[in-house]
Amino acid sequence: MPEIIVKPASLKELWKTLPALGKARRYLAGGTDIVTADNAGAESSECWVDISDLPELGAIKETARALFIGSGVKISAIENSAPARRWCPALIAAIPHFASPSLRNMATLGGNAANGSPCADGVCALVAEGAFVHLAHNGKKRCLPLKDLFLGPKRTALEKDELITAFEVPKTKHFGAYLKLGPRAYFGISKAAVAVSLEMSGKTVKRASIALGSVAPVPFYAVKTSAWLAGKPLSSEVVLAAAALVMTEVSPITDSRSEADYRREMCGVLLERALKSVCR
Amino acid sequence: MKTNTCSVSFSINGEKKTFATRPDEKLLDLLRREGYKGTKYGCGQGTCGACTVIMDGRAVYACLLYAMQAEGRKVRTIESMGTYDKPAPIQQELVAAGAVQCGYCIPGIIMSATALMETEKDISDEVAKEYMDGNLCRCTGYEKIWVALRRTLDRAAAEPKKKASKGGKK
Ligand SMILES: Cc1cc2nc3c(=O)[nH]c(=O)nc-3n(C[C@H](O)[C@H](O)[C@H](O)COP(=O)(O)OP(=O)(O)OC[C@H]3O[C@@H](n4cnc5c(N)ncnc54)[C@H](O)[C@@H]3O)c2cc1C
Ligand code: FES
Ligand code: FES
Repeated sequence: MPEIIVKPASLKELWKTLPALGKARRYLAGGTDIVTADNAGAESSECWVDISDLPELGAIKETARALFIGSGVKISAIENSAPARRWCPALIAAIPHFASPSLRNMATLGGNAANGSPCADGVCALVAEGAFVHLAHNGKKRCLPLKDLFLGPKRTALEKDELITAFEVPKTKHFGAYLKLGPRAYFGISKAAVAVSLEMSGKTVKRASIALGSVAPVPFYAVKTSAWLAGKPLSSEVVLAAAALVMTEVSPITDSRSEADYRREMCGVLLERALKSVCR
Repeated sequence: MKTNTCSVSFSINGEKKTFATRPDEKLLDLLRREGYKGTKYGCGQGTCGACTVIMDGRAVYACLLYAMQAEGRKVRTIESMGTYDKPAPIQQELVAAGAVQCGYCIPGIIMSATALMETEKDISDEVAKEYMDGNLCRCTGYEKIWVALRRTLDRAAAEPKKKASKGGKK
């Protein structure tokens, strides 16, 4: 429960303010993860740093080569962004599966990533999009492939006070799909999810990038299946073989939401459906 | 920059007000404490939608917002809608359809429906149902709520202020 909430007006002010604050501090973006934890009595940090209105985190920008989605952009604003619709088809396909419209008016991609959950839908889609994540800590900046941000369940490579500033998605023409299997059609944490990004040259796959949610300790980039698909025609045989291959790559567990074997099986089914949706 | 502030100012149902608050107080608790009791607490987990209010034109969950985060914003609660004597169209239709049982979910349902009507045009069934995704009702089985909402949308669409675009698809 926060005893104090500070709200810096800019990044510069944020870096100036941090050292003077109590040690147990957290960033507050959309609050959909940490405030639910707080309401459940599971959040102990005393000082919350409200970054939800930081102008440096709140925009979607386009350069000649890439699209930059600010970490503080609301999910619903991404849904309505023309450049995001154009360059991030897998992410856009994931959004209807992301919680409910009211939650999407609050939640951000920065929180989705920093939370480090293997079932984060926005993150899983962005991993398939080949996104990079930009981080800042005081004057220091770094950028890494988003898939490398995740170290284990709820564990990320973020250092203390390090801030996710933006996600960079290279501008390449590609197809995208996102399929999620949850407890019901909408609104629920996934048992398994698959994100697909495909660059095609006619009927042949030029580049494939496949990511899966809820079936590994981290949002999972399927290296083998992605590489195997490159250069292959997207025939029904190839689709089935890719589905079989991806099942050998994932490492799901049994938990309250589903069982390991079922999850593994569903990875194949979801990938098959996702690839077929692109063939059409 | 604000540190440990104990007051927050925002527009509530069109009136600009300043309230005393604490950093750990949720917007939902402040609203209810100040008499806006139509906004309900259901789960505190962003799941049920009983606490739905409209902030700067968008439906949000007041149970997941700190009161201080409302600073400078426009907040609308169920109290801004119709009254017993002069109900809003959605309220009329909910009553007419017999869609209100215990009624606990209804303020949230009405706020989500209002956000829908104020944001979207030519509203298809699919879009309407998606907007209502974040509101649970334990009593009704949703069918009557849905009938009331569709009737409200059709009524609004049939109103004289005909706009350029038409057709049900989005
Ligand atoms: C009812 C419900 C349903 C949900 N359904 C889904 C779903 O379907 N799919 C899904 O993926 N998620 C879902 N979530 C989880 C949640 O909404 C997302 O993970 C969301 O993206 C979190 O973003 P936020 O801005 O609300 O994060 P916050 O709660 O504000 O923050 C989460 C964590 O990230 C840190 N953080 C936030 N921003 C940054 C930043 N820029 N840099 C560094 N650290 C940062 C915070 O300190 C905190 O530790 C659901 C949550 C609820 C309550
Ligand atoms: S009380 Fe806020 S969503 Fe249930
Ligand atoms: S009428 Fe009782 S919860 Fe909806």
